[in-house]
Amino acid sequence: MSNILVIAEHANGAVKKTAFELLTVARALAAQSGGEVHAAAFGPGGGGAAAELAAYGAQRVFMAEAGLDPYASLSWTRAIAAAAGESKPAIILFSAGSLARDIAGRVATRLDGALASDCVAIASSGGKIELTRPVYAGRARVSAGFAGGAVLVATLRPNAFSIDKPAAPGTGAVSALNVAAVPEDLRAVVVEVAKAQSTRPDLTEAAIVVSGGRSLGSAEKFKLIYDLADALGAAPGASRAAVDAGYAPYSMQVGQTGKTVNPALYIACGISGAIQHLAGMRTSKYIVAINKDANAPIFKMADYGIVGDLFEVLPALTDEFRRVLKS
Amino acid sequence: MKIAVCLKLVPATTAEIRVAADGASLALAGVETIISPYDEYALEAALKLREANPGSTIQAITAGNDDALKCLQHAFSVGADSGLHIKSASLDARAAAKAVAAALATDKPDLVLCGRQAIDDDQWLFPGALAEALDFAHVTAVSALAQSADKSGFQCRRRIEGGELVIDAKLPAVITCDKGLNEPRAPTLKGRLDAKKKQPVVKTPADLGVSDADLAPALDVTKYAPPPQKTPGKIISSPAKEAAAELVRLLRDEAKVV
Repeated sequence: MSNILVIAEHANGAVKKTAFELLTVARALAAQSGGEVHAAAFGPGGGGAAAELAAYGAQRVFMAEAGLDPYASLSWTRAIAAAAGESKPAIILFSAGSLARDIAGRVATRLDGALASDCVAIASSGGKIELTRPVYAGRARVSAGFAGGAVLVATLRPNAFSIDKPAAPGTGAVSALNVAAVPEDLRAVVVEVAKAQSTRPDLTEAAIVVSGGRSLGSAEKFKLIYDLADALGAAPGASRAAVDAGYAPYSMQVGQTGKTVNPALYIACGISGAIQHLAGMRTSKYIVAINKDANAPIFKMADYGIVGDLFEVLPALTDEFRRVLKS
Repeated sequence: MKIAVCLKLVPATTAEIRVAADGASLALAGVETIISPYDEYALEAALKLREANPGSTIQAITAGNDDALKCLQHAFSVGADSGLHIKSASLDARAAAKAVAAALATDKPDLVLCGRQAIDDDQWLFPGALAEALDFAHVTAVSALAQSADKSGFQCRRRIEGGELVIDAKLPAVITCDKGLNEPRAPTLKGRLDAKKKQPVVKTPADLGVSDADLAPALDVTKYAPPPQKTPGKIISSPAKEAAAELVRLLRDEAKVV
């Protein structure tokens, strides 16, 4: 069977953008392999996601709610394995976020298959799957094939694949899976979800990121970054140097030892462009650099750059974006 | 508590990663190597747990060629009780998990600690695969770890998109470690000297009953490439206000990204 099973993340039925990326990729793979696109929408409210998942091409939608909230790695692994038993996929797709990082490897092992994490390209050709993924913190890319009889679990880098809605929706036939909680599945279980106190988008999910470096000089001066980010509806980020200096929290750190982001637009303010920082943002579609040092390495990677004083340029940019985006 | 810590030798974060002439491999001979940094948090977590639970033992495990012994030397120098080198020319994460599971199968530890990801393959595969093979619970990317009152498990914190999870985990478990969990200690001079007297156990995968078929790479590598290079773009040198207006115009009209 050459079906593709998409693990579609949602918040109480509100489908996440990454699921649409996965479904678009799944449709392309299914067209090449002659299989169907299936989706699994697990956890509370999954039924509410079915129509949207069908709109993006799912022929079948697997649901399961009971026993999957609160989250437990083992109960979700079992539910996905159960969906795979019904779907019989050649490929299972996750978005390369915290769910995949937790259980994609376990799922692949349970199904005696292979795992390819954080793919930036994937295609099916002559019964063989070809994929490309970054390694060594993005310092190289490896391309590999998979032709095995078992399943390939592939996790896809968010924002690395475009979203495309088909002219006609998929059938979206809903199957409710019976995966009632088993006591040994609760050996590790979430007991509390502490949401960040912020209306700003998450760094790894944002379409636009505005990052500040140590040149900002203080936590107070990081307000210039937050103001620009808010004018753009962006997520604020920071370099390691800024975090180590105490100007921004570790949760904002972008780079080899922080987060990897892949937004459509990355604005680096007062960041010189050390290799370790680039590792976390170099795949951004557009990179803007603002730095008073014309020789800063970041300008070699930037699509657009302003050589100037942060403390003049950032407020001017914030004002200009506010003016232009108001209308 | 019987603790196993898995350590992987990887190229240093500052090492140049060059594609070999054949385009199908990387030229890594002679490159500086380190213990994968997230594995260091795992080793430190083991040491702290042994301090808090006297009588506990720490077994450090590594897989790879003889270069990997560097990991065990370091583990000995900070006080690991024993070391296991699974000697093999090269093992991908899936094969390494099979080999380590085979090594631990007959005398399972209570707790396995690993780094959240190996910074060479960035697969996030080994810990979950090992937990599945051992039928252990697992918790991923823990940034805070507290033993439960009855010592039967842990309360773990994990950073995720938009917040943090608190997870209760029962032993036996595989727990993977994230930055911020602790500050790995440096070996003392005495530790380094003591390490020279310690010998690791060396086993091949065959010794552990792992077949060549089990060790075959999961993915068939066809080529390596450097990351896509960007060509330098437009630099604006006007005064702040004009530069800002020009940049906004370019982002809206040319890049169409705002």
